[in-house]
Amino acid sequence: MTKISKASQAVEEQSSRRDFFRKTAAYSVSALAAASVMAPVKINAEDDPAIMHEKKWGTTFGFPVTHNLYGQPSPYEHHVTRRNTKLLSSGNYYASIAMCPIQDMQGIITPNGLFFSRSHGGTAEIDPNEHRLMIHGLVEKPLVLTMDELKKYPSVSRVHFIECPANGGPEWRGPQFPSIQFAKGMMSCAEWTGVYIKDILKDLGLKKEALWMLAEGADNSHMGRTVPIDKVLDDAMVVWGQNGEALRPEQGYPIRLLVPGWEGNLCVKWLNRLEFATEPFYAKEETAKYTALKPSGKAIQHFYANEVNSVVTSPCPENPWSDLKKGELVEIEGLAWSGMGTIEGVDISLDGGKNWVEASLKGLVLPKAWTRFSFIYKYEGKPLLVSSRARDDAGHIQPTVKQERAVMGVESIYHRNGIHTWEVTEKGEVNNVQVLS
Amino acid sequence: MFKSYHKILLSTVLVAAATATTAFAGDKSVSNTYANGKKVIDGGATYPVVKGKTSSYHVNKTAAKGGFTLGRTPTANEIKAWDIDVMPDGTGLPAGKGTVEEGDEIYEAKCASCHFDFGTGGAGYPALQNGNAYEGQKSLKNQRLTADDDGPVRVFGTYWPEASTMWWYVKTGMPHPAPMTLTNDEVYALSAYILSINEMKVGDELVEDEFELNQDNFKDIVMPNKDGFVPNIDGPKALDDVRAFFADTKNYGNGTRCMKNCFDGKPVLARISGAGISDYEPKISMKKELPPKAEGSAAKPGQKAYEASCAVCHATDAMGAPAVGNKKAWEAVMKKGIDAVYVNAIGGINGMPAKGGTSLGDAEMKEIVDYMIEASK
Repeated sequence: MTKISKASQAVEEQSSRRDFFRKTAAYSVSALAAASVMAPVKINAEDDPAIMHEKKWGTTFGFPVTHNLYGQPSPYEHHVTRRNTKLLSSGNYYASIAMCPIQDMQGIITPNGLFFSRSHGGTAEIDPNEHRLMIHGLVEKPLVLTMDELKKYPSVSRVHFIECPANGGPEWRGPQFPSIQFAKGMMSCAEWTGVYIKDILKDLGLKKEALWMLAEGADNSHMGRTVPIDKVLDDAMVVWGQNGEALRPEQGYPIRLLVPGWEGNLCVKWLNRLEFATEPFYAKEETAKYTALKPSGKAIQHFYANEVNSVVTSPCPENPWSDLKKGELVEIEGLAWSGMGTIEGVDISLDGGKNWVEASLKGLVLPKAWTRFSFIYKYEGKPLLVSSRARDDAGHIQPTVKQERAVMGVESIYHRNGIHTWEVTEKGEVNNVQVLS
Repeated sequence: MFKSYHKILLSTVLVAAATATTAFAGDKSVSNTYANGKKVIDGGATYPVVKGKTSSYHVNKTAAKGGFTLGRTPTANEIKAWDIDVMPDGTGLPAGKGTVEEGDEIYEAKCASCHFDFGTGGAGYPALQNGNAYEGQKSLKNQRLTADDDGPVRVFGTYWPEASTMWWYVKTGMPHPAPMTLTNDEVYALSAYILSINEMKVGDELVEDEFELNQDNFKDIVMPNKDGFVPNIDGPKALDDVRAFFADTKNYGNGTRCMKNCFDGKPVLARISGAGISDYEPKISMKKELPPKAEGSAAKPGQKAYEASCAVCHATDAMGAPAVGNKKAWEAVMKKGIDAVYVNAIGGINGMPAKGGTSLGDAEMKEIVDYMIEASK
């Protein structure tokens, strides 16, 4: 109010010149400049300069609407990026992974530029006019579609996470990453738009003996994976849309397979071929890599679904409690997800999993999607061990590290969903630990 | 007004009741998508369309009735061109042959620069062998519980259940910078070489230098770890076996919902040893600040091609190639004179194949060389 009346006063005093300035853009600028010169505000030590000082952005034009025709994040957010480490690369950054900054994520939707990215021969940049989807093998009527034709099928939009089954995999033998982005960042969640494969198959005459589908990509790695027919006829999709726009190249532009809840590697990017057969294909990534070796020496193959899992995102190493004061209320917040169904609930422990209380779920709770949980806590300035434990509607609940190791040992690499624990020190710093009790 | 408000209230109660029933019935109410009534294949829930909705999503049920006439039938030639997979029963294996000796030569020229001599791997690139495959297979029960324990050996010979996977992989994925460039004979020769460095037998015959692999005897390869995987995925009963496996959480673990005094004493903690893995690019920062001013350098000629095709080996000296940016290494290279450097880049030198294994033209190769020299001054 004060500011406005001062400004109008200034305008008043200049009223004799009003007509002269009326039609010029300089008018308002001069008036405001006059206001601060003519009626300077006294600033006291306890006043926040961020409030007391006029700002460049409040006294000059912003960018015109013609600036950044494809919008960009604020430059002040430039640290919010995917990240990588040489230690998780197969010799180079063409067969590697870039982690999603889940410490910076809001809600359950990952912005497309921050969605985690894994490729086995680099990100292909495909000309959609020269891309086709071929469906053949055990169907009465094989089919080839241009991208325009594919998108004429009735579309469905679904919110699903995609998670690399190696998420948290480097920590089977103990904690390794002083960071949530690296400990749990091999996943992201988006709204995908595409077509159910079962809807396309309706017109192709799928043969009774077809038990498996090969999905293959057109990129350098020609990534192939085998999907059982049950999943194909349930909720597997070919998708072209991601959060309201076309898939990003890192996500398989122009199209990828989406196998909701299952290993990210099965969601073949740059998809160009689906073949139906009676026997599985034994593609490279389903035996050489994405198998979970147990202490018996036998490995689980075709380990499809990412099991129920959760992690506290605040506090975490990137979001410490070092600014919190004793007695302040604070929200413990996190993400829960299950590739086997819908999150039913999440429990929180502050003493390393000895005692638990139920947290609240918040926001949308959808099958095979990130789900937010929340717990309001009065900070006491004492060291804590903060853990979360999620359960889903198919009867699965996260095991303790001890329970998980008893079944899987420590050499599995994939599908680790043991309870995650952050140590909050007396100073409010956050460390990655594992509770072995 | 009151009436409709009442209706809303009533329907809210009904929805709440329905949700409670679903939660109570748990598995049963969600896993009946399939006509056979068996559990869902991954051990999880599924969401049949009920009253026009699947879970929270509304559905246009007419869309699932078919009747679309989009696209066309591919020609037999088109299917053949794209049907590049190779299956364990030999389906997809083309005619061809190659010996271990031939494979050795191709390996030296096109593979050793990443997988190192004899497929030992290194610098992050995968090993293709770790000694005798039959011996190595026995290591799969190893668990690294202490720092002194040996881990399980997971390479082609010791771990993979099918050799067809390797043929398919090499043909369509290798050499990494230029896949789909090897002839079928070359792939047979490389496969023979990989069998030999894994000290494997085909039938009763140990794979040695003169051994020739072809589309017929390829099917005689029996992998040492053929029976090392669960659940069964072969044969007409496979899907039932898979479904039964994942229906039993004992096979892969499940927790319990303990709420009070879940273990005795204080929690036993494992901590990160040293700095752990903290070599991140870019470094983590939660600061809200403007980015540093860009230096305003556009890509130089040759830079993009260098990054796409040459940086794999030349970015560091780990591969034995002169690293770009290493002034001394490039001064040594340049002692030969620029013309010799061009000739070597185009014709190959030491571990580097001709044109670094790329299909770039001579002029492009020269441009890349110029860029690499300039960037190393």
